[in-house]
Amino acid sequence: MLVAVALLACLGVVALLRLLAATPALDIAASADAEGRVLLGASRVAALQPLAGRVLRAVGPPGATPTPVDTALLHRAPRWQPDEARRARSLAQQAALAQALQGGSVALQLDDGSTVLVPAAPRGLGGLGLTAWPLAAAALLLPLFGAVLLLARPGLHGGLFMLVCVAQALGLAMLTASSLRGLGLPPALPGLDLPLRLALDLATATAAVHAFALARRPAWALAAWAGAAAAVAAVATGLLSPAWPWAQALCATMAAMALLAAWRQPAGPPDPRRGVNARLALTAVLTWAVANAAVLATAQHPQLAHATAAGAAVAWALFSVSLLLLVPFVARGRRLLRELALLAGISTVAASLDLLFVAVFALDATASLAVVVFVALAVYAFARQRLLDQLLGARLHSTDRIFELLYRAARDVQRRPERQLQRLGQLLRELFDPLEMARASTVPRQAEVQDSGMALVVPLRAEGEDGRGGLAVRLRLAARGQRLFLPEDARLADRLVDQIKRAVAYDRAVERGRTEERQRLAQDLHDDIGARLLTLMYQAPTPELEDYIRHTLQDLKTLTRGLAVAEHRLGAAAAEWKRDLAQRLAAAQAQLGWVCEVDESLVLTMGQWSALTRVLRELVTNALFHGRATRVDVVLALRGEALTISVADDGAGRSPEAWAHGLGLGGVRKRVKQLGGRVAWRENGERGIVCEVHIDGFREAAGTPPPG
Amino acid sequence: MFVGPAQGGRDSIPAVPLTAEGVFAVAVKVLILEDNPVARSFLSRVVRESFSDSIAITEAGDLETARRHIALTGGAQGLHGTDPFKLILVDLELPDGNGLELLAELTQYPATKIVTTLYSDDDHLFPALQCGADGYLLKEDRFEVLVEELQKIVRGQPPLSPAIARRLLMHFRPGGGGTEGAPDSGFAPLPFASSKPVPIEKAPEHERLTPRETEVLTYLSKGFTIKEIASLMGIKWFTVNDHIKSIYKKLNVSSRAEAAVLASKQGLV
Repeated sequence: MLVAVALLACLGVVALLRLLAATPALDIAASADAEGRVLLGASRVAALQPLAGRVLRAVGPPGATPTPVDTALLHRAPRWQPDEARRARSLAQQAALAQALQGGSVALQLDDGSTVLVPAAPRGLGGLGLTAWPLAAAALLLPLFGAVLLLARPGLHGGLFMLVCVAQALGLAMLTASSLRGLGLPPALPGLDLPLRLALDLATATAAVHAFALARRPAWALAAWAGAAAAVAAVATGLLSPAWPWAQALCATMAAMALLAAWRQPAGPPDPRRGVNARLALTAVLTWAVANAAVLATAQHPQLAHATAAGAAVAWALFSVSLLLLVPFVARGRRLLRELALLAGISTVAASLDLLFVAVFALDATASLAVVVFVALAVYAFARQRLLDQLLGARLHSTDRIFELLYRAARDVQRRPERQLQRLGQLLRELFDPLEMARASTVPRQAEVQDSGMALVVPLRAEGEDGRGGLAVRLRLAARGQRLFLPEDARLADRLVDQIKRAVAYDRAVERGRTEERQRLAQDLHDDIGARLLTLMYQAPTPELEDYIRHTLQDLKTLTRGLAVAEHRLGAAAAEWKRDLAQRLAAAQAQLGWVCEVDESLVLTMGQWSALTRVLRELVTNALFHGRATRVDVVLALRGEALTISVADDGAGRSPEAWAHGLGLGGVRKRVKQLGGRVAWRENGERGIVCEVHIDGFREAAGTPPPG
Repeated sequence: MFVGPAQGGRDSIPAVPLTAEGVFAVAVKVLILEDNPVARSFLSRVVRESFSDSIAITEAGDLETARRHIALTGGAQGLHGTDPFKLILVDLELPDGNGLELLAELTQYPATKIVTTLYSDDDHLFPALQCGADGYLLKEDRFEVLVEELQKIVRGQPPLSPAIARRLLMHFRPGGGGTEGAPDSGFAPLPFASSKPVPIEKAPEHERLTPRETEVLTYLSKGFTIKEIASLMGIKWFTVNDHIKSIYKKLNVSSRAEAAVLASKQGLV
């Protein structure tokens, strides 16, 4: 099919170029002067060179009555001639010139009444002028492009796009014909121009309505085609006359319908592509309107009309072609092409504005060009970032911000590896700010963009990793529906997931190594030294020595347990302390009073846990064996940042300031000092001793993870 | 040279009968599995001190010897034996293996099985309870404490430390996966204990705790004593003890059910 389209398009373009080349013409420049007369200009043909600067009055075949001409002769695109009478005059003059040219030579009547006979010769392929070739190339390219798209994605949308492409290509072909140098056109062409080009514009607008309304309002599409067909029929039968305003009005209606269909958000999630399409359609309609307005505004100024018309035709054609060529790429998010699209759009608008300024404010060409360039640059500067960012997928965050998010997530995950998946989800949410986030049904190998940028599926856990099934999240509609996901986003998401996993794996390896080492140490200590101490204890000669060894053994157990256990929560530790002390006191037939006001979930460091365990044990042992107490009251309280412990007994101990601090009390002092606290003993009312331990900044010290 | 009860500075504890037959039995058979000879004779003295029956103690220094003695009394099922052991003390760390292996073999054996160990952390004791131990003794305790604890276990008042209570809560929590994920687990789980319980689709009735049992466990895990729990819940202390016994039984039954599921999965049954 592609070959067929290519062949057809080539044949068409070659035929057109050959026809144009074979048409006899006068190779002379002509322009309009202030009074609406035709001013002849430079020429490459020697016979015509003396005519430069003369005013042309009439043309005709040699020997016959010449047809008077004015600037209407220069107006070669009847599509852009809104005035019926002038268009008719223009057509008549073109026809007269063409007829004269057929004869081989033309009689030109100049302003001084003299008649000059000049030879007419075919232009030849070399004489088509500079603009004709690129226009012809574009006319060839456009249908090919439409066909490629249609083949790549067959369907109604592709077909409509193809139709629009063909229509615009034909329009370009017409433009090629009217952009030639010199005077003289193929005789049939000017007459065909208006109906054909209006029909093509109408077809384009109708196809646009159809394409935009396809999803939700099939009735609109039907109505548009019916209206277009009716209009064509009415114009053909002369019912709608004059044709030009009617056709423009119809096109405007169609454009409004297309815009409406494109703009209205359907029920359901917002679609960023829809917004882009709608804005592009609006730009197209505005350009079309500006071009038409320029033509309308200059219709009454003879010296401007034909220039404006030619300019408008070129501007409109350029814009529609670039738009058509770029539409498919806009949705894909190719950066360079987006930029080009924007440039093309803005320069076309600038060209249209240029025409408008020339026409409306009667500025001279240079001044208007300067103003327009200035305006275009300003528009470009303002619009570029905004359009690129908001419509077409900008970077959501600066590199700094991404790094910061990643760093924070990695730190979080290292602190709490079990929350890895939640944290990853949070990171993706912070980064892409999607409207929806849900578990994906399938787990891809790497992150992938789906639904042409509507969704991004990020695998968080591969199948079988950690011995569990795969897990992936599906983010829908980036930046709350304002943005499309790009392939770079998928790569970024992959790298983020990778980094977090690496952080966790590294942390786990370090922690595992550390834990294994500690546990090995603890196991050896416990098994070897513990078993020997136990044997020694069973064989102790005196109860005192037996108790001493038992305490040593218990200290060893506390030490090894502290080494082996990863974390001690204050609540669990307090429960163990209480049980330990209760058993100890019950064995000595003493009572325990226990008050505990703590934040149970506080995680103790190893040092805190083992120091507190031994301080409590030592204090209660003292009360029992030195004071022979029958009741010990322990208060453990965490108030704000400070931890206070008070151990009060009703034993025989008095005047603590006079104590000789042996191994036991010295150990208590040492451990409390290690924790950054202070300890004091005083008499407890009538009987016994109170020991008070106060540790400032306990919570803060506990809050930090174990050192290393 | 031993530290006897008289040296402990307290009156000796009255001995209790180990079996219902009491004085009518010829001699109650007790097996002590312990590799340290000093500890073994110490434990023998604890056993003799604890019970009023006439006791015949069989000592074993390793698993192999213990298995032989058990085979002589009718094998691990204890079905054909005319005179099985009534009480078995098992040390965890043995030269030819772990005491848990023997406990796992003896789940059907009709004796009171007690773990004696130096380890007091839940990571070592919890698997022992799962393997069907009726209680545990900490070897470094004083003689009279051991006697009292042993008597309590035989009478049906098994010990339950806060750490083990926490583990039990986690084990019986709906969807709780037994041994994994203990917040403050101690030593690395033994290789033997690392055979994870097979998750059962829906916990059968015998696997779930009653609200009362859960409440008791929660208090225990916070370090409350049985007496304190009784007054907190407004019930008698022996009712609290009944709850603890019931929890033990459920743990035992649930681990047997797991073993059965495991066996059927491996095609053993």
